Amino acid sequence: MTWALVRTKLLELRRRRGLMVVTALLTIGLPVIVLGLRLAFHAADPKSYGPAGSPGVFTALVEVMAEFGFIIAAVVGATASTSDLSEGMFRHLVITGRSRLALYFSRLPSASVIVLPLVAVGFAALSFVTAYAGTPQPATVSINGVNIPAHLNEPELVQWAAAHPVQAALATGSVSVSSASASSGGQAVSVRPGRLGKGGLHALYAAYLTLEATQGNPTASDMTKIGLWLELDVFVGLVVGLGVGSVLGQRTLSTVLIIVLQIIITPIFAAHVIPYFLNGQRIVVGVALDQLRPAFLNPPTFIGHRVRGAILGRSGLEIPPMPTWAMVLVIVGWVVGWTGLGAWRMATRDA
Amino acid sequence: MAGALLGSAGTHDVTLAAIAVTTGPVRHTHFRIGFLVVILVVLAVIVYLVVRSRERRSHHHGQGDDSWARQPPPGYGDPPSVGGAPLSGDGARPPAPPGGEAPPFTRGADGTAPAPVGSPLPSSPPVAAPRPRRQVRLEGEPAEGWAVETTGLTKRFGSNVAVDHVDLRVPRGVAFGYLGPNGAGKTTLIRTLLGLTKADGGTMSLLGEPVPARRREALAKVGAIVDEPRFFGHLTGRENLLMLAAARGGGAEARIVPSLERVGLAGRADDKVRQYSMGMRQRLGVAACLLGDPELLILDEPMNGLDPAGMHEMRALILSFVDEGRTVVLSSHLLDEVERTCDAVAIVDRGHIVRQGPIDELVRGAGSSVLRVECAEPEEAARLLRAAGVSGDATPTGIGVDVALPPDAGREFIAEVNRILVEGRIPVYGLQEMRTSLEEWFLSVTSRLGAPQ
Repeated sequence: MTWALVRTKLLELRRRRGLMVVTALLTIGLPVIVLGLRLAFHAADPKSYGPAGSPGVFTALVEVMAEFGFIIAAVVGATASTSDLSEGMFRHLVITGRSRLALYFSRLPSASVIVLPLVAVGFAALSFVTAYAGTPQPATVSINGVNIPAHLNEPELVQWAAAHPVQAALATGSVSVSSASASSGGQAVSVRPGRLGKGGLHALYAAYLTLEATQGNPTASDMTKIGLWLELDVFVGLVVGLGVGSVLGQRTLSTVLIIVLQIIITPIFAAHVIPYFLNGQRIVVGVALDQLRPAFLNPPTFIGHRVRGAILGRSGLEIPPMPTWAMVLVIVGWVVGWTGLGAWRMATRDA
Repeated sequence: MAGALLGSAGTHDVTLAAIAVTTGPVRHTHFRIGFLVVILVVLAVIVYLVVRSRERRSHHHGQGDDSWARQPPPGYGDPPSVGGAPLSGDGARPPAPPGGEAPPFTRGADGTAPAPVGSPLPSSPPVAAPRPRRQVRLEGEPAEGWAVETTGLTKRFGSNVAVDHVDLRVPRGVAFGYLGPNGAGKTTLIRTLLGLTKADGGTMSLLGEPVPARRREALAKVGAIVDEPRFFGHLTGRENLLMLAAARGGGAEARIVPSLERVGLAGRADDKVRQYSMGMRQRLGVAACLLGDPELLILDEPMNGLDPAGMHEMRALILSFVDEGRTVVLSSHLLDEVERTCDAVAIVDRGHIVRQGPIDELVRGAGSSVLRVECAEPEEAARLLRAAGVSGDATPTGIGVDVALPPDAGREFIAEVNRILVEGRIPVYGLQEMRTSLEEWFLSVTSRLGAPQ
């Protein structure tokens, strides 16, 4: 593999105007358009429209970018590995005497140079708006709709719970609701708080800490981790796209299979335990990537309530997590495995 | 989802999943500065891209003139050595012009007079005028080795044997035709030779380099078109060549412009290939072959899809390559084309070679060339000729006599026949040498006439 090969493959991909426009739209355009509109709305009417950036928007856009980023990276990868074949250039390239493996491996950096920076720019725009045009750090933490003052330690939270027994009970869900017909014809509802024991208060504090961390704005450290995770997600998509494209030799079929994997199979495997197939579910790379996602993106499921909604069916791992070594092995296995398969097919294919 | 992302009305904070957070004072100053910075960055990027795109376009147009040709890159067009030894005989390459580097593709048509640099296409001799063929010897291995040599080469697709124990020897410095009907296995042989598909048996070498053991070294000196030349339609001709030059390395990038000029595509080099005609694509394919300044060109059906003018140009181009000392292997089913262009030929049918050798020799060896004599008294004429001991069978016809021409018959033989008849007081109206065309011979030796050899 030489720089010249990478450069010319990059040129070939860049000249695909349609693919580049779609890639840019899904990686940069999507966050820029959403945030641009939010910025414009807020600028026009600050009383009605809140600031453009917020933890919720940040998380939602990251999830959208991860989902679309994986798919578009796979499409770019599949294009890079099948265009020579479909357009008849593979034969010319092989006749030059250049090693087929060198030809294959030059595609990875070429496609990466396109996709990874675009995702980085999109994420940078999102982080920028979240940091500089976002909501201030919230003064309260919301648990099941109950606002509890932020920055409390455990004794202070216990003190607050003692002073606000109804809210504390609502927050933990330990309430009983009874209703009775009133003489006026309406219904009177009475809420009776349950007793919060020591264990209940401890659980409440644990949830409080988790939610305080996730409801606030992401820190620079959070953003860095999320950005790196996003890039890894996209890179894995690219490698899988390259490999599948090379093995199948058809871009359309490769793209459809990857979309099915990402949109249908992965969410199902990440969200539902299939009896006797748990380890099979864990082999899917999207499941491993979901487990790897930074804590800020993980939706707390305290007391049966999901705080953030799932985007496109994926919102984090909901099956028992696998050991870290297994997670790393799955991700590395997909990257190495598909690269190996793609390279092998390229080396043995009739031109 | 869009609604959720864009926000909600009211004094509450805006979040996707209705996180209830209490907002503090909004930092309008930060927001405005940030917004302004984003807008400025986007504008700067757009301006940069537009300026760069215009600069590049003007640069490309600038390359289209002949200034490149006047100043060829160093080392370009150096005559390739053949195994370290110069070619000799009719296929000899002229040495590089003294006193400087050889300009690109300027080896003279006869090895002495270089063609002007940048001339779009070399002129070819008139079609009617027969081209003197080079002397080709296929017996005994030449000192410089064969350009192409295969022994027992076999390629199967399932039960179908596409290449059946082919023993092929192509001498250097000639135009060699690989002739056969459609489906005879011509392209499969070429694909196997070039490593595009694996052989199932036999050995092969290109320019003395065994393939596939030293495939890379062999292909570095080979240019080839296999099937119809296809390129990236969304790239320009120049960009397509750039891709191939990058893969080839070794200074191939510097040969892009001269190659385009050589095939007459310099003026259209910056057009997208999807706008090219079939003939232009064929020429681009030839330009791609030239990137490696090859000793051996393998052209598979280069006349396909070309109109008569395009065929004429392609023929001239091929002949000019041979005149420069390169070896050209021309695979074709067009008999006439091979006969006009090539010095030697191998005829392939159903995967195996049925004949190979110099074209003149093969046609002569067919033994069906006759001297057609238009004269009075055919029976008497035939008797006279037989009585005079003319070496060749004389057969009376309705208009005269047909005399079979011996393989070594020259002009004197014709004069002798005429003398015998005139001295025998037989009025002679005309003498015409009727040589068997390659097409007739081809049809007689292949199975396509229903008369297997």
